[in-house]
Amino acid sequence: MIQWSAELARRLICREEEKRQMAPLIRRFMELARMAGKEGYQSLESSLSERDDPLLGLGLRLVIEGLPEPALEDVLATYLVAEDRSGWPFLKACVIIEGLLALAAADEPAILARKLVAYYGADRAADVLEELEREPEEEPRAEGAT
Amino acid sequence: MIRALAGRAAARWEPQRASRQKRDALFELATRIAAIAERSRAFEREALAEAALVESRKILRTGLELASAGAEIEAIEASFAANPAFSRADPGDALELCVTLTGLRGLLAREHPYAIMRRMSARLGIEYFDKTEAWILSRLGRRRARSEPLIVPGELPDVIRALALDPRSLELSLRTAGRELAAAALAGCPQESIDLAKPFFGRIGAAIIEDDVAHLRSRLSGDEISEAQAAFAEVVRTLAERGRLKLGEETDFIAPPAFVAALTKAVIALDDRVLKVGLRGLDGAVLAMAMQGMEPGAHDRILGVLAKRDERRLLDAIDDAAPLESRAIQEAGRELAAKLLAAAKAADRSKAASASPEALDRLTLVKDWEG
Repeated sequence: MIQWSAELARRLICREEEKRQMAPLIRRFMELARMAGKEGYQSLESSLSERDDPLLGLGLRLVIEGLPEPALEDVLATYLVAEDRSGWPFLKACVIIEGLLALAAADEPAILARKLVAYYGADRAADVLEELEREPEEEPRAEGAT
Repeated sequence: MIRALAGRAAARWEPQRASRQKRDALFELATRIAAIAERSRAFEREALAEAALVESRKILRTGLELASAGAEIEAIEASFAANPAFSRADPGDALELCVTLTGLRGLLAREHPYAIMRRMSARLGIEYFDKTEAWILSRLGRRRARSEPLIVPGELPDVIRALALDPRSLELSLRTAGRELAAAALAGCPQESIDLAKPFFGRIGAAIIEDDVAHLRSRLSGDEISEAQAAFAEVVRTLAERGRLKLGEETDFIAPPAFVAALTKAVIALDDRVLKVGLRGLDGAVLAMAMQGMEPGAHDRILGVLAKRDERRLLDAIDDAAPLESRAIQEAGRELAAKLLAAAKAADRSKAASASPEALDRLTLVKDWEG
């Protein structure tokens, strides 16, 4: 059953130009999924930088540890709520959590991308996905997002 | 969509507003609950009753008393919600109730204590993440020793050994299955399989897998473990069908039957004294490797001529031996055959013992084996 929350929908509202910042973030997760497949999950921590969202860093540590999915989702969602984000910071955190859950499930990059583009909404998701699959390599990292 | 967010009641979107001092105190409370979880996992509800007797915090004491009396988590939550003293709590007390109920829920679900600790400390805020990790790392040294192996007949140990030839394939299989299913499947495998699986999950994850395997060995029936192994094998099969695994051929790590038969017969045909002299000075690791290319009858012959101390060393070397490719097993077998042949010829010359022409032929055959 699809679960729905008015509060969640309210917090996810952000401007169109902010939403565009999602593409580099999704591409970063696709790259992390490729890296995990080639070099192992423990190599993912070395790809983090100081600019990365703290949620990504600690989430990756939990993914590497193999925290089961329900506990991983609970812990990350609890951190998110405790931080009281809304708008783009909230949307960004949701994409990060969704990406971490997909990494934990060992999803292939293409599957992972399909899960994350859903945050663009039904009207844009297909176009963005096509864009992501057309240019898998060259895209600068999102400022402060990843 | 993240279910943990979508399913969250509107009232629970409020960020916690407890003071740092209160949250520090609640971190200590969380560590106590995690420690109770460590004990109750093994000793069930008796441990909860004992913990309730010495607990000073009212919320936790009440929760533990209810849990030890057999109440399920939903009933415990409902009893707190119905009590005006708790439902009108200030932010600090509300957070204490939330942390306590989170802990009790994990404890009654028999989650791993470190996972419960992660869940509880998340309620205190992101700034408690590192402190939680430090606490978990400090507990690793106090863990109990490995459990007794429980081997459920099946092919999973061979499958894991085959996957381990390409570590990424084994890691992908374990992560796709998830830690819970992987641990249930590994509960019926020898320690070798568990040791192959652990390194992918870091120090904490490795400890949790080992603990979960030990815990599940005491809780699951043989049939349940077999079901978990079948489910894990299905995960591997699906990944292989999708071309996501680099599976080594089974013959990659099993020596050819003709070689195994020749080496086995060569060892069994030898006189005890020749065997003893031939094994003297042979590297235990090489012997352990060569023994992967023998049948059990030859193992018994070798172990039978060794002194107790050497026998123990050899068994340790066998435990430590990584799964070998066929080529390495044959190489070790050839080295063993060369040593035994030299010993047999020397014994023959000194008239100390004799080896039959048949035994010498078999040793020569193995020494010159072309794999």
